[in-house]
Amino acid sequence: MSRVEHDRTHHAKIATGVGDPQCFKGKAGKAKFKVGDRVRVKDRPDIFYTRTMTYVRGAVGTIVRAVYESPPAEDEAWDNTDNVVWFYSIVFSQRDLWPEYHEVYGGDTLETEIPEMYLEKA
Amino acid sequence: MSSSTREEVLRHLQTVGQLQPALHKQTHAPAPTEITHTLYRAYTRSAHDVGGEYDVPIEWHEKEEEVWELNTFATCECLAWRGVWTAEERRRRQNVDVGQTIYLGLPYYGRWLMTAALILIDKQYVTLTELHDKIEEVRKRYEQS
Repeated sequence: MSRVEHDRTHHAKIATGVGDPQCFKGKAGKAKFKVGDRVRVKDRPDIFYTRTMTYVRGAVGTIVRAVYESPPAEDEAWDNTDNVVWFYSIVFSQRDLWPEYHEVYGGDTLETEIPEMYLEKA
Repeated sequence: MSSSTREEVLRHLQTVGQLQPALHKQTHAPAPTEITHTLYRAYTRSAHDVGGEYDVPIEWHEKEEEVWELNTFATCECLAWRGVWTAEERRRRQNVDVGQTIYLGLPYYGRWLMTAALILIDKQYVTLTELHDKIEEVRKRYEQS
């Protein structure tokens, strides 16, 4: 049977005994954003796959942590691991995400992780 | 073919007709000009991105996994362990590639199991004919038991 040649253990080779995403540490270069930065989520194309929820796109949030380096889900979903990027934990005010969110709960926040390619300075 | 096969075929045709509720108007073979950007985006979005969508409340059921569900989980983890897929590829296939109708319509571990079979075919570890033959074999064994 003809089969595309692919080293199906390539991920295990780098992750065994180290862990994932630890095995990608140091591969994303310098982080573009720092804790406290206000960032807007870009509305990149979402065709075929994404894990950046539509409801955060266009909203502005605050970076609370650079959490880890990893290939973005869009690449890893096809087993592409060469493009490693920073992931940031970002806090949004719920009122900025949902127009009908009641002001009584104005202090409510939502925290989620988003890869760097989706972010621009607000 | 036995008449029970025809009954199943006809029942199937009736059922798939009911599986088209995503857009509540006639949608067969639209002209390109009938697809606005809004519709195009709705059609091509990742089916698992449901956050913020309008929906009816879902009733909470506490239910333990069945044995086949636990076995499915173990099988999928073995496929990852052997390098056949990463967790992200599995999620993409079981949550998005299946399309909205199946994503919302089939049980959680049912989608895992279907996806495990499909990746073995996609990556040419087995052929679809081999899988169909195996399903036939198991079906016959089940009918005789």
